Amino acid sequence: MALGKRKKQSSKFVTPKLQITAMMDMFTIVLIFLLFSFSDKPETMNLDKELDLPQSTAKMDYNETIKMVLSKENLKLNDTVVAKLENGRVKGLRKDRLKDSDLYRKLSFYREQMDRVLEDGKKGDHILFFCDRNIPFKTINSIMKTAVMAGFPDFQFAVLKKEGVLK
Amino acid sequence: MSRLTRRKRHTEEEIEVNMVPIMNMFLVLIPFLLMSASFFHLKAINTSAPVQGESVVSDAAEKNRKVTVIAEIKKNRIQLTANSEAVLNEELKKLEYQIKNEKQKEYRFDQMTLVLQKIKESYPQSDTVIIIPDKDVVYDTIIQAMDAARYSQTSPALFPNVVLSGRVG
Repeated sequence: MALGKRKKQSSKFVTPKLQITAMMDMFTIVLIFLLFSFSDKPETMNLDKELDLPQSTAKMDYNETIKMVLSKENLKLNDTVVAKLENGRVKGLRKDRLKDSDLYRKLSFYREQMDRVLEDGKKGDHILFFCDRNIPFKTINSIMKTAVMAGFPDFQFAVLKKEGVLK
Repeated sequence: MSRLTRRKRHTEEEIEVNMVPIMNMFLVLIPFLLMSASFFHLKAINTSAPVQGESVVSDAAEKNRKVTVIAEIKKNRIQLTANSEAVLNEELKKLEYQIKNEKQKEYRFDQMTLVLQKIKESYPQSDTVIIIPDKDVVYDTIIQAMDAARYSQTSPALFPNVVLSGRVG
């Protein structure tokens, strides 16, 4: 008897309607946000979390060749740590003996490799330079000097785009 | 209940938009947009370091119209000077400016842009600025100086070729 009653009840069961209006609202907001942040060239670079890049009005896109990252802790060349920083100075990079540094050796190696590939000895390559905004010029200067000595006088300074400005 | 009210209620119940296909479309679009979304925009500033090389002999008439601006960022001021092989020293002296910091701290890059605009008006062919920061000037300040030297709100290009150099000697 009891079983029959239950059977009768289940046949009356109506599937509850799923209320999706709220979900639709949420999806619409997410979709609009993502449409605004859509980029045909999404950034695929791995940047250190502690690296605080400066903001600039620059509009030019970067070309990735040799990537150099100077953070408060270390100096990286193509994602490999080349030197550590101590009290704002690059360890192993002495002002009077820049050619004895690991940085010079690695950059010279890259220069040789590129010269072999490039025709007519064209030196069109540059270094894409990522630097923390609070690093003083004395640190940057020694690194730039070493790069120039190794055959890389041209740089591209990576910056974050400042929104809502002319250039 | 009248017949009219019954019919009205009947039609109201029938109007129901089927949201399921739209939901399906959203579920496809959102992962795609998430993949191609960029939450920070990286840009670049072209610059170079001075290199010792052979001097290039250029057309004298063109030389006359060109000056190279030197912007020295010191601890509490920006010092602007100009350099040119063809322009007379007296004329170059007139292009010397000192822009002192506001409250001894903040650099007045807006003033620097105005001065550079004046120089650009006098020598429109000029396109190079050499920035020489003091050793303790931070990278952020150098980038701001580069921005101030390269473009202004009113004129499109001031000195797009930026050379970053350390002090000699």
